Amino acid sequence: MALKAFFPTCCASVDSGLLVGRWVPEQSSAVVLAVLQFPFIPIQVKHLLAQVRQASRVGVAVLGTWCHHRQEPEEGLGHFLEGLAAVFSHEPWLQLGRERGSTFWSCKAIWRPMSPGASGQDQVMLIFYDQRQVLLSQLHPPAALPDRQAGDAPASAGGLAAVFDTVARSEALFRSDRFHEGPVRLSHWQSEGVEASILVELAKQAAGPTCLLFSFLLSLLSAVGACRLFRLWPLPSICSKLSTCKQVQHRLEHLSLIFSTRKAENPAQLMRKANVCVSVLLDVALGLALLTWLHGKGHIGQLADALVPVADRVAEELQHLLQWLMGAPAGLKMNRALDQVLGRFFLYHIHLWISYIHLMSPFVERILWHVGLSACLGLTVALSLLSDITALLTFHIYCFYVYGARLYSLKTRGLSSLWRLFRGKKWNVLRQRVDSCSYDLDQLFIGTLLFTILVFLLPTTALYYLVFTLLRLLVVTVQGLLHLFVDLVNSLPLYSLCLRLCRPYRLAAGVKFRVLGHEAGKPLRLLMQINPLPYSHVVRTYRLPSCGCRPGLSWSSLCRKLFLGELVYPWRQKGDRQD
Amino acid sequence: MCDQPVTNTKEARWQKVLYERQPFPDNYVDRRFLEELRKNIYARKYQYWAVVFESSVVIQQLCSVCVFVVIWWYMDEGLLAPHWLFGTGLASSLIGYVLFDLIDGGEGRKKSGRTRWADLKSALVFITFTYGFSPVLKTLTESVSTDTIYAMSVFMLLGHLIFFDYGANAAIVSSTLSLNMAIFASVCLASRLPRSLHAFIMVTFAIQIFALWPMLQKKLKACTPRSYVGVTLLFAFSALGGLLSISGVGAILFALLLVSISCLCPFYLIRLQLFKENIHGPWDEAEIKEDLSRFLS
Repeated sequence: MALKAFFPTCCASVDSGLLVGRWVPEQSSAVVLAVLQFPFIPIQVKHLLAQVRQASRVGVAVLGTWCHHRQEPEEGLGHFLEGLAAVFSHEPWLQLGRERGSTFWSCKAIWRPMSPGASGQDQVMLIFYDQRQVLLSQLHPPAALPDRQAGDAPASAGGLAAVFDTVARSEALFRSDRFHEGPVRLSHWQSEGVEASILVELAKQAAGPTCLLFSFLLSLLSAVGACRLFRLWPLPSICSKLSTCKQVQHRLEHLSLIFSTRKAENPAQLMRKANVCVSVLLDVALGLALLTWLHGKGHIGQLADALVPVADRVAEELQHLLQWLMGAPAGLKMNRALDQVLGRFFLYHIHLWISYIHLMSPFVERILWHVGLSACLGLTVALSLLSDITALLTFHIYCFYVYGARLYSLKTRGLSSLWRLFRGKKWNVLRQRVDSCSYDLDQLFIGTLLFTILVFLLPTTALYYLVFTLLRLLVVTVQGLLHLFVDLVNSLPLYSLCLRLCRPYRLAAGVKFRVLGHEAGKPLRLLMQINPLPYSHVVRTYRLPSCGCRPGLSWSSLCRKLFLGELVYPWRQKGDRQD
Repeated sequence: MCDQPVTNTKEARWQKVLYERQPFPDNYVDRRFLEELRKNIYARKYQYWAVVFESSVVIQQLCSVCVFVVIWWYMDEGLLAPHWLFGTGLASSLIGYVLFDLIDGGEGRKKSGRTRWADLKSALVFITFTYGFSPVLKTLTESVSTDTIYAMSVFMLLGHLIFFDYGANAAIVSSTLSLNMAIFASVCLASRLPRSLHAFIMVTFAIQIFALWPMLQKKLKACTPRSYVGVTLLFAFSALGGLLSISGVGAILFALLLVSISCLCPFYLIRLQLFKENIHGPWDEAEIKEDLSRFLS
């Protein structure tokens, strides 16, 4: 197996020195992290490496020597470098060298002669990597095997992960730059100057107290929420049905996650926090935009003026629909008496509804004004509120649907059991099957009489049920679209997506290698480049959990329920099975 | 190895067993094989008049349907006052009820353990429900086309005749289904009548003729066959007379149908018995004749 030496590109032009890095014996690869410049005192170097080892828990050691010939090769330097192998013993001892022109590289790995099963020298493969990108990037668990586009280097995902991990954990090594007054001088990606920003430092300083304050406020809020007054009978069940309450709860959880004083343990948690933060910020920004639009130039008044006529119009259309149903709709033969009864019942309901709306109309503007204020909590809260208001304004449609469905389900269940009676069978509950049964004469007579009546009345009920179910489905679809948008804002990992867009190397899916030069007698030189994670993977990996108030119904069970006339709710039921 | 020549062939008799080695080829069949052939061992010899007597059940049921349709037609045309029909029906029901107990001297009632209070309750249930639902029945099929109703009734009455329990032991027989179909047809037809009182009386009449009358018939047939023949003849002639008053052609066709069922069909059955050729023999499937229930317990 060829020995692989990972070498940072930023160190390719520094002066001669010692190679500091980690030896990964499983992959037989050496990860060079920095170049130690001359002059140094060996005992201080060992001391520094011990410190770094303790801080980062990475087996950092001196791997070999780096020899950059700027002028004529000096005989003395070569001997001196060979002599260092005795001071810092390492197995194997790497000897990297660069000739005057940039194209000639030499690399040797020397095993000590007495070590078992190893020849004196080994074939070495040089792999260059960008230290900054590798340090910042995060290799994803479903890391695919590296693409073999140009050249091929069989490196397994585990080996790559070890390299990435080594670079990421030995951050302590990169803290000092060239201008640092220290006993030893290291060359690495930050050695020309450490990256830092005043704003970031200030934010870091301010974050602690802010988080503490906000988490205190949030705990106060949750203490109020947990008070016994809110646990009284109707409130929890109502809250679980209102999407506004759910959304507010969801947002509160998000806020407590953002302002929690505990540090994120792993990069995934950090990413989640950042995603939640960006989502909340965007949400509030959109909400504030909506608020300014609503409260400027009297838009609320216009909206309120438009709302009552719309509700009136809907009621009027419903009346027309009912009158059409009470005639001979689409040429269907309905039972006239039942048709009239049902039609009048529903008409009276609409009449009640209209009077209610007219009673409410003077207050609509005030209500809308207060509702508009909720937009400062975020666009999603405002949209959830809109969905709830839609549900309240179409309450009559919901009532119609429930009456129709109850009537229809009574009919279907009655018909199914009477049909069994008609054939002289019955449902055996103990054995869960249909058995034959001998009925009395009067049972048979009454059953058949009812069966006949139900059969002839079924089309009328079914038509009313169908029409009101369609209306209800329309309302539910509108609400569903609103919920879909809210869920999108809630669960889309915006921060990760931005990261992928602007800094593709931060989310790595794997690496690819490009051949830099391959001459006979010289080591193979490869350049390691990072493959960014695809957008679909980003969304799948970092999706935030959504509110989860949608019903978990499959299409087939929905159709079955609709056909049998069982009630279909837009929220999750207790008895619902997950299928 | 079976067709190896064996010296004592003449002494060896062929046996129809598999558990012994015999000196015959596998497909060998003895001459005695066909001796066990039996023909028509389960065929029954019918007496002509007995078959005619048995066919009277079918005649009765056909006549019941005919009488029901004729009465409905009279009601629909307004030729028959509902009160008169109700009175007649009530009187004949009472007579039938008394007869039902008188024929076998109350033995059947003792056996079934049914009290007169239960009978009264059933009657009350019939009357109350029919009367209560008669307005609903009146408007039930208003919007449905008359032809649809007729087609449905014909279909249901045919179903009633097909599934009726004529005493045959067949899988298709279901007295429950038969009765239900008749009631369905009567409700359909009753909903076409001009007033709700008509509908009520029509449905009551349907119960009498389709549910109660066959019960009385069965008892009559079992206890007094002679009077049963007389009643059948009387019933058939009255049905024919009723049909004649509506349409002559229909009456003639119905009469022909009755005659063919009661006289021609038995004759044909007996003639066909001559051509019966059922063979039985050792090749039949095994039949277990012993009562196995003692092994099961």
